[in-house]
Amino acid sequence: MPHIVIEHLNKSFGRQHVLQDVSLEIEEKEFVTLLGPSGCGKTTTLRLLAGFLVPDGGEIRVGGQLFSSPQTTMAPERRRMGMVFQNYAIWPHMSVFDNVAFGLKLARFGRAEIGERVARVLAAVGLEGLEGRHPAQLSGGQQQRVALARSLVVEPSILLLDEPLSNLDAKLRERMRGELKSLQRRTGITFVYVTHDQAEAMALSDRIAVFHQGVLQQYGRPRDIYERPANLFVADFMGIVNRLPGEIVERRDGHVRVRVGDHVLAAIGPAAGGSSAREVTLAIRPESVRLGRTDGPGNRLDGSVVEATFLGSIVDYQIDIGGLLLRVQADRHVVQEVGSKVQLTIPIEECVAMPTPP
Amino acid sequence: MRGSFVHGGGLVLGVAVLALLVLVGYPLLWLLLGALGLPNEVGLDHFVRVYARTQNFEPLKNTLILALGTGLLSVVLGVPLAWTAARSNVPLRRSIHALVALSYITPPYLTALAYIILLGPDAGHFNRVLRWLLGLEAGPFNVFSMGGIIFVIGIHVFAFTYFLTYTALQSVDAALEESAQVLGAGRWTVTRRITLPLVAPAITGGALLSAVDSMALFGPQAFLGLPAQIVFLPTRIYGLLGSYPPRWGDASALSLILVLLTVAGLVMQRGYLERRSFVTVSGRGVRTQRMQLGPSKWLLLAFCLLVVFLSAVAPVAVLTSAAFSKSWIAPLLPANFTLAHFQAALFDDQVAVRGIVNSFKLATGAALITVLLGLAIAYIDLRTRMRGRRLLDYLAILPLGLPGTVMAVGILLAFIRPPLVLYGTIWILLVAYVARFVPLAVRSANATLRQIDPSLEEAARITGASWFQTIRLVLLPIARPGLIVAFLLVFIPALSELSATILLYTSGTETIAVAIFRLNDLGQLEVVAALAVFMLAVILAVSLTLNWLAGRYGARIPTDVPVP
Repeated sequence: MPHIVIEHLNKSFGRQHVLQDVSLEIEEKEFVTLLGPSGCGKTTTLRLLAGFLVPDGGEIRVGGQLFSSPQTTMAPERRRMGMVFQNYAIWPHMSVFDNVAFGLKLARFGRAEIGERVARVLAAVGLEGLEGRHPAQLSGGQQQRVALARSLVVEPSILLLDEPLSNLDAKLRERMRGELKSLQRRTGITFVYVTHDQAEAMALSDRIAVFHQGVLQQYGRPRDIYERPANLFVADFMGIVNRLPGEIVERRDGHVRVRVGDHVLAAIGPAAGGSSAREVTLAIRPESVRLGRTDGPGNRLDGSVVEATFLGSIVDYQIDIGGLLLRVQADRHVVQEVGSKVQLTIPIEECVAMPTPP
Repeated sequence: MRGSFVHGGGLVLGVAVLALLVLVGYPLLWLLLGALGLPNEVGLDHFVRVYARTQNFEPLKNTLILALGTGLLSVVLGVPLAWTAARSNVPLRRSIHALVALSYITPPYLTALAYIILLGPDAGHFNRVLRWLLGLEAGPFNVFSMGGIIFVIGIHVFAFTYFLTYTALQSVDAALEESAQVLGAGRWTVTRRITLPLVAPAITGGALLSAVDSMALFGPQAFLGLPAQIVFLPTRIYGLLGSYPPRWGDASALSLILVLLTVAGLVMQRGYLERRSFVTVSGRGVRTQRMQLGPSKWLLLAFCLLVVFLSAVAPVAVLTSAAFSKSWIAPLLPANFTLAHFQAALFDDQVAVRGIVNSFKLATGAALITVLLGLAIAYIDLRTRMRGRRLLDYLAILPLGLPGTVMAVGILLAFIRPPLVLYGTIWILLVAYVARFVPLAVRSANATLRQIDPSLEEAARITGASWFQTIRLVLLPIARPGLIVAFLLVFIPALSELSATILLYTSGTETIAVAIFRLNDLGQLEVVAALAVFMLAVILAVSLTLNWLAGRYGARIPTDVPVP
């Protein structure tokens, strides 16, 4: 049975319906990321999980026990969860030791055990020797680690993280990302992580829940979400994507043929049970287009290079395929001059047809 | 996205709401009922009849003249001083600024007392010097006159105009003035055509605040007006309630008019200050230009020194000298020196000693209660989604616009009868102080709480702390410096409160201010001066502590000031 079960969750602030009928299941020891742009409902979901908010509808169960419903909401302090805040929320009037020991003191642990456990967790996050420091004397990265240590020391079954890396500089962010991942593997705690950074989400998560305007758009493994986005929003949000408007000319067991301009391309069809509209948009990732002819099934096109931008590890092309511009990202070893004619191959499974939004 | 809810804290917050309703809402309700003639008769007829009486119309007229006079005087004195301190190269700018602050924290009735000594028609020091210099027979000044009252109140309330103008001048970006200079405007043209128009809303706002404040100042109006039978609304209300039998209906009808005048003034003031939006009020990072004056700076300096001499130095000095003199009329020479008045004021005089003890008890109690109330109300406003929390906030801020005399009338009407009979006990004074000064604490607590990110409390909750533990272990310790500031902000005016106290005290519940008032009636000016010096010393010490604390912890002192 899943560890956390969220069912038909609804929440409004005044007239703003910030969370609409969200259902989500999280397994034990899983790393799940709630992803989306600001105002999409991901933070509201996290705060509902923590018990800071009362849902207007739906319920949250953890380990079979009802935690939140409009009628009864368990207080945050009784949920045995930990939380790391975006601004760290380190208490400025307490030393590092007192910050970390806070939860243990409340749970009435003995002095010796508190000392031992605080030392262990500080070592785990790499803060040995800083017990006596005050928050004002710590760097952003160190404050981040204090926040982590403080929430881990009480050995929660679930750790909630609200954009914990967004205040760090790029290099430190990448390092902390690695540490968070290995920490989660070592401790076996269920992580629920909120971010607006899709790269971070893909690097960290077992599963990603993509939110938009209060609605859960897609929930799945990073690879599936990247390669088989449920809709254009998810496709766009997860990375650069070519969007080619077209018209279905033929359907056959999951596959379709779509007329795009002068071309007819084979693609993976809209999800079964989806609308039967003929207007669709083809989503094609720039790096899935191959320059030159390759073997195997694929759409073959001719085009001419309009623009080529060297980006270091890759070269970014704009290629004219008969009135339509296609963005293509290729290996830096293959160089195509502007104006040259090229042949393109797009594997069929890299073309995803989805309903054009109204 | 806040809205952490409050398991178990509801009771505490509920008690605070109830206290506010009883302490502020209930008296105001009675004031309204009283103005309409209850409990004796009901209706607007009564209201009209009250104003048809000349004894009641005269005070209204005098009050308006006073407001107009002090409002104008505050501009004449406040604007040049503010410009000098903020924008010129005149020496002693910091001292001038500090002395204006001193005149502001001196209770205005002490300034009035000082001017009885300085400008009394016969023996006043200034009058005697001027008569000798000019070879006059009598006069030339009489402080017991409308002109004298406007002058004495004016040199106190001009601080409002000064501070508002000063702040505005400091927020005018030099680029605005430099653009005019580049186009060929001279220095004075720039000041006249660019700088002053930019701060005009602040000047007008300050003048209105000064006018509103002067209408409510019972102390100087009584000390200087009553001997000359010049009556203002607060002193008329005082007289009505002191007569036998007390004329409740008249008193509350006059109170209501005073409230309307005050509220109208404050609403206008708000309006003017909001128009300041075209001044760059970004606060930080604004570069201002200081004008390099030639010899004219000495003229300006002389004017500024004269103003701060009259408003701060002379009153404090003359009170101090009188307190140490056997007779205040003679100069303070060794032969005239005595400590007897302090002996009397601090140890011997029954009323004075009781007054000191009561004032300290009341100021401490009121400050404690208002800080707790203020914290609870700010918490409800900022940390909960309770329905009606905006309304609660308004109710808590409302007394800011109510003269002490008016509050006292409401409180008398409310607490002289069952179910809550407090009249005759010291509790009614505590109620009055809490009700009057709760806005200061609410604002201060609000500013403090705004600086504390709610996630600090949420982090405590999710780490296992209950609501009470979160308040006790996280919120209160972090808010402590701000709360101490709030405590002192209430303590200072509560220690010297006169206008409400004078209507509410009874034998045994006198305060320092009452002792000063009564001893002055008995003509014991030297003992009064000793008490005044003692009170000033305490206020000064507390104010300096406050400043130091605020500077050290960056706690914000709300800039809005109450009507004394």
